[in-house]
Amino acid sequence: MAAEGRRVAIVGMGGAFPNCKDLNEFKQKLFAGESLIRDWDEARAHGKNIRSTVSGYITEAEMGLEAIYSTLAAGYPETYIDHLGRIPDGNLSTADVGSIWSMIGSQEAIKMAGWSDAETESEQTGVVIGSGGAGHVILRTAWHNFFELKRKTRIAGSHTVDRAMVYRDAANVSCLIKNKGVCEAIGSACATGLGNIGYAYRLIKFGIQDRVVAGGVEGTSLETFIGFDAMQVLSKGFAAGESSRPFDTSRNGFVCSFGCGIVALEEYEMAKARGAKILAVIDNYHNNSDGAGNMFFPSFSGQKRLWKGLIGDLQIKPEVVKVHGTSTPVGDAIELLSVVDIMGDEGYHISAPKSQFGHMLGAAGAVELITSILMLEKQQVLPCLNSDVLNPELESFQKSPEWEGPEKPLEGYRHLISKEIVRKEINQIVCLNYGFGGTNSAMSISKHL
Amino acid sequence: MERQEIIDGLVEILKTVRTIDQEKLQNLTEETDFIADLKTPSTEMINIAAKAEQKFDVEFEDDDIDDLGSTVKDIVDLIIRTKERA
Repeated sequence: MAAEGRRVAIVGMGGAFPNCKDLNEFKQKLFAGESLIRDWDEARAHGKNIRSTVSGYITEAEMGLEAIYSTLAAGYPETYIDHLGRIPDGNLSTADVGSIWSMIGSQEAIKMAGWSDAETESEQTGVVIGSGGAGHVILRTAWHNFFELKRKTRIAGSHTVDRAMVYRDAANVSCLIKNKGVCEAIGSACATGLGNIGYAYRLIKFGIQDRVVAGGVEGTSLETFIGFDAMQVLSKGFAAGESSRPFDTSRNGFVCSFGCGIVALEEYEMAKARGAKILAVIDNYHNNSDGAGNMFFPSFSGQKRLWKGLIGDLQIKPEVVKVHGTSTPVGDAIELLSVVDIMGDEGYHISAPKSQFGHMLGAAGAVELITSILMLEKQQVLPCLNSDVLNPELESFQKSPEWEGPEKPLEGYRHLISKEIVRKEINQIVCLNYGFGGTNSAMSISKHL
Repeated sequence: MERQEIIDGLVEILKTVRTIDQEKLQNLTEETDFIADLKTPSTEMINIAAKAEQKFDVEFEDDDIDDLGSTVKDIVDLIIRTKERA
């Protein structure tokens, strides 16, 4: 349970962001109201075998990286070169692309936090970073060479395990920064990013660690993309910048994107005592399950219970609710109505940053938390791009006799969702993310006063 | 195939292993130890063996790889022995 008097501050952040070279460019483009979603030539190359061809992807070159391809297995990235000299070759040799982004993001977050080497390398410093998918890019070649081409296991080399294992991102970061505390990965599908940070928050709040590098990552991978493409849940038929359209009546799926968000968390009094710049304070984190026995369909009651657990007996009255808002037909409607059911229909705005960069899957919750910290810093609510028309009719589930939620159609809550940037006083933001399996995560953060 | 020709081929392979200090390759001899002298991570040895199979058109027995020492001489001997066996 929570140790008496302990609070948690966010003191650093970093990562990898679509169509941006770094966090500064990400911030600049977000608050210029730009979309970071592009046509993806890698998807388009597969012609009619793939439905969706837009993504918030990140190329190796955009991150200053270059793949060194194996002479033994065609198309296998044996290792990478970091042209910006951030990550040593030895660490690169055990990493897939997502793990490299995690290492770069962790370096940035620790630098911003201002931790000394002794603090970073302490037994009181942990690493908690997870990914939605496996190391698909690495595994595909290894498996193809063994199973299809009938070649020896050694053809893919000796790094398929460390570059593809579930907690590869955390392990690679830990080996880079040499912390001596906890090193783990939490997996909860599209709630992974926020789930890892929530778990890290508890490690500090419960007195187990003083500092944690935490976040989520989803390395660019067509292997990941095609799974969702086959489910027919990806946006189709819009120009790239118009393809992610949370709450709009013509939304028809999410945009599969990639990225990495890492934050440095520190026990509040310790951060304050050393004069750290505190970016935000975490008020609370709560997670639960729908308990509805449904892998995919969102649950109104599960989301309401999530809010109740988050609020508890705390004063949580956010000026902004940063929603999951994926641009899927059912998900957006249930979420908007569950927020309204708890928060009422005035006094706050809804931010759906996936409208600008798509759905980064295992990285989504972490990058969107960073987005929320930026909104606190700028005192601006990011625009919900493409939310042109909200449904003037009731959703079909609202017509059911069992429905006990808000009675107005989505259009009745138009005033909560702005297509333009809103400048206003923002002291508190609640962040929401959900994942397959009926898992729900919520975190409230406040401006440091 | 002359031993020096094999060593030259090994140097070409080692140039592609980024975790090896490339400057140390200039004075490579048969006595050079991959792990002690070149600081090659032990996990890279199987990658070097696999690339040697490709470069010298041989296929090592798993037992031979398991028993392989860590000097340049060890792998040169194995390549010659495997070629003779073929």
